[in-house]
Amino acid sequence: MTRIQRRVQVLLALAALGAAGMFLGGEVGLGIDFGPVGATVLYAALGVFVFHLARYAGQVFPEEWAPAEKQAWVALVFVALVSFNMINLLAALPDLGAAADELRNSATRPLWTNLGILMVGWIVIAGILRKQDAGGVERDERDLRIAHQAARIADGVMMLFIICLVVALVALPEQSRTWLRPLIAANVLIALLIARTLVENIYTVLRYRRERG
Amino acid sequence: MSEFAVRNRIREFRQLRAEMTQADLARACDVTRQTIIALEAEKYSPSLELAFKLAHALERRLEEVFRFEEKN
Repeated sequence: MTRIQRRVQVLLALAALGAAGMFLGGEVGLGIDFGPVGATVLYAALGVFVFHLARYAGQVFPEEWAPAEKQAWVALVFVALVSFNMINLLAALPDLGAAADELRNSATRPLWTNLGILMVGWIVIAGILRKQDAGGVERDERDLRIAHQAARIADGVMMLFIICLVVALVALPEQSRTWLRPLIAANVLIALLIARTLVENIYTVLRYRRERG
Repeated sequence: MSEFAVRNRIREFRQLRAEMTQADLARACDVTRQTIIALEAEKYSPSLELAFKLAHALERRLEEVFRFEEKN
């Protein structure tokens, strides 16, 4: 492992700590709210990562990783962060009562900000990687086969999630369904789509890892 | 029932062609270098089209490069 890759690992560990603070946060003691502190650490670590990616082309990821594998890892990290945001939102919505039916409420406002930052970060990193790998083959038959298998597995898992959701909704007694408001149901469906993408990316990176032996 | 696997001699034939690197072979066959690594490690079985391209790039016959044999 190169010096740059070790540095990137430290950055990713910092980003994971920041993400944990951001999503689990709240006031723990000393009057510090770990939510905003975690968010600052996460976004600062991502910023430094982007700098490393741009500055040390080809040294950030291991040489034996295919371009599609690098993209899958980046997608996995960002989709995981989006998933945490979605879980936070779904956990907060039932307590909002009627306000949960408004598109902009106290739970969705930070979500849109975070999603905006994450999407910009994802586009920038994916763009830098695409530029660095330009000139060679970006995706060959092995990459397409892995992508196809990952999509099939993810579709199967999503179908399972939908069946579980339907069974849970049918089985829940009427008085336990008071939290189920239209926008919450819409967010649950979006969460299912995000979960599908997460499963797809997890399968993809595991498959590449297995084929490298 | 017996299990079969596709074995290959890509690394051996590539190394016989002194100048040919994994990157050269990848370029000749329109695949990534990482796919050549997976093929040489027999972690991936190529499509028929890629198998022909590999044999052509290595200047060997298909059956010299690939063989279909029972797993141990």
